[in-house]
Amino acid sequence: MATLNLQNIRLTYGDAAAVDGVSLQVHRGEIVGLLGPNGSGKSTTLAIAAGILAPHSGTVSVEGFCHKTHPEEFARHLGYVPQNHALYDELSARDNLTFFGRLYSLSGANLRRQIPRVLDAVGLADRAGDRVGTFSGGMKQRLNLAASLLHDPVLLLLDEPTAALDPVSRDALFARLTRLRDEGHAILITTHHLDEAERSCDRIAILERGRLVAAGKPRDLLQPSIAGKAVLFGQLRDPLPVFQERAVRQRLGARVELEVTGRRLRLAAETSEELGRSLAFLLAAGVVLESFRSPTGSLERVMRASPAITPEASCRVGSA
Amino acid sequence: MPRWLGLIVTIARKDWSLFWADRRAAAFAFLVPIVLASVFGMIFQRPAASSASLKLPILIVREEAGPLTQRVIKDLLASPRFEAREATLAEAEASVAERRPGIAIVLPRGFERLNEWTMGGAADKPQVRILHHPMCAAERPWAEGAFTEIAMKRLAREKLAGLLGRESDSAVAPPFQIEATPVAGPRPFNSFSHSFSGMTLQYLLFWGMESGLLFLRERQRGVWSRLRAAPAPLRLVLLGKAVATAGIALMQVLATFTFGYLVFDVTIGGSVVGFVLLALAICALAAATGLLVAAIGGTEARARSVCILVILGISMLGGLWMPAFMLPAWLRDVSLSLPTTWAMRGLEAVTWQGRGLLAVLPSVAVVAGFTLLFLLLALAKLREDRPRLCREN
Repeated sequence: MATLNLQNIRLTYGDAAAVDGVSLQVHRGEIVGLLGPNGSGKSTTLAIAAGILAPHSGTVSVEGFCHKTHPEEFARHLGYVPQNHALYDELSARDNLTFFGRLYSLSGANLRRQIPRVLDAVGLADRAGDRVGTFSGGMKQRLNLAASLLHDPVLLLLDEPTAALDPVSRDALFARLTRLRDEGHAILITTHHLDEAERSCDRIAILERGRLVAAGKPRDLLQPSIAGKAVLFGQLRDPLPVFQERAVRQRLGARVELEVTGRRLRLAAETSEELGRSLAFLLAAGVVLESFRSPTGSLERVMRASPAITPEASCRVGSA
Repeated sequence: MPRWLGLIVTIARKDWSLFWADRRAAAFAFLVPIVLASVFGMIFQRPAASSASLKLPILIVREEAGPLTQRVIKDLLASPRFEAREATLAEAEASVAERRPGIAIVLPRGFERLNEWTMGGAADKPQVRILHHPMCAAERPWAEGAFTEIAMKRLAREKLAGLLGRESDSAVAPPFQIEATPVAGPRPFNSFSHSFSGMTLQYLLFWGMESGLLFLRERQRGVWSRLRAAPAPLRLVLLGKAVATAGIALMQVLATFTFGYLVFDVTIGGSVVGFVLLALAICALAAATGLLVAAIGGTEARARSVCILVILGISMLGGLWMPAFMLPAWLRDVSLSLPTTWAMRGLEAVTWQGRGLLAVLPSVAVVAGFTLLFLLLALAKLREDRPRLCREN
């Protein structure tokens, strides 16, 4: 039985579907990454999984407990880590945990035992009495995680937990999540960092405009498109007219892949140098990118390899 | 302890901890209404003993010197109705323009012609002018009436003296007596009772607003999402918050009225049970106001601006700053639709008016009704708002 079971869930805001027929299962001992661009419905799906939002159709259950029929049992089996540091800055770490623990009916010796345990698990045992307002962003994020572990839930739901973390803190967080997975927790995490999903998730699910467009192991989903190639994903300021796309594609040649879907662009080449030259050509042809990134971490190489990307062109990319 | 009660206590205790976390802010929450109530009370204080002999400050201008004018001025200066002094016309005009004082009586040239006045005579009448500041419309008829009485007494006394051969005060005394009886209650008006009731009420609403803003901050921080993911029904979470807000509000009522009693003799002259019921209803109203602010407030800055405007408006219209009888009649009718008006009526009834439980019950009922309305609106809005909470994240 899946720990988290989302079956054909749908939620709309007016006429727009924020989540459209998503089905997803998360089992004990696995980390599932929910990926997608901003506005794709990741956080909404996670909020539905946490029982914060009720879907307009479909069912949600945790360990077999349906949210509609057994809301309390449903809530007791999951720990939710919101994207913001959902803590009271005015209170100490211990007082925060005491409050959140009591919401889950923890009290007395049980609560006194759990608080040092979770603080120790996130490396904050020596700061228990300090006010949260004095903590750094990374420490708050760790405490944020600790608050969701107090009642020892089998399912953990984390909404972009690495959004404001530096690389060292991100690695430390994923090390903790990996340990929790190995202890038998089921973990669903939203992110838009392909690299961290690829490294740390056992499975990933990709959302696009509220629809689940792909799900599977990261190697299966990510590698075919980028294996052995330098790839760049970009966001166009304006949709590319068909004639311009055709002309650009012709000039780039058959060795360079160009895919344009609406305002989204994917460029792939055999080498970083070739990718850099292609990018420079695009910019010179008047294509304006709002942003671009390379999931293979080769962006710096792409930029370095392209002498044609002048400071002006870079500015145009950055400020467009 | 049952689970539902434990949840309410947990949430209330957390909100109390947050309130006391900033000790200075907490102290100000108690001190500000006390200071404001004391200042307002002192401004509007009228010693009970002298209220019967309240004097209207005026200036007297004489445009010609004559024996009759001189005697009328002497009577005006000696009158218990006026606090009068003589001035030149230029000085009087300048003073009245600045409302220091707001009234001046000008005895014109030709005033001496009244020596020839006879009862029923239609001789050329000298024109006595009353200069008044636009804000002194209420004092003008008072000055007019008192001057007419004094001038007519003087004329009558002099005419009768001609008939009787001597001046006689008793001959011009009115053949009746006037007795002033206060009907609002057996006790004299105490400006401190009014100001302590009004400022307590106003600051309870401000405290309600603050608790609502705290709630909004919880939503913005994402704590609300965490609360909603916990096994705690929405109604119990809201009830816990309401209990915390109402509890602190009750402490404010106790602190303010205790200070008023110890320093300014503000007492519960009427039904103590009525006062307690009303205090509980008002504290519940403050809590419900907070939940409503959190439910419909949008952003914290927007909610704060709108709340301050609304609270100051309903405080003024409800008679929390100064007695409601100073408002125009139509506005007093409009203000009956506000909870502050009823709460203030009730507090005045049980404090300086010394009235019984029955006199307070309508106020308790109206305030409780508004509380229930605010709670239902907040609950409905927060239930409906759940998708928006997620989008904020």
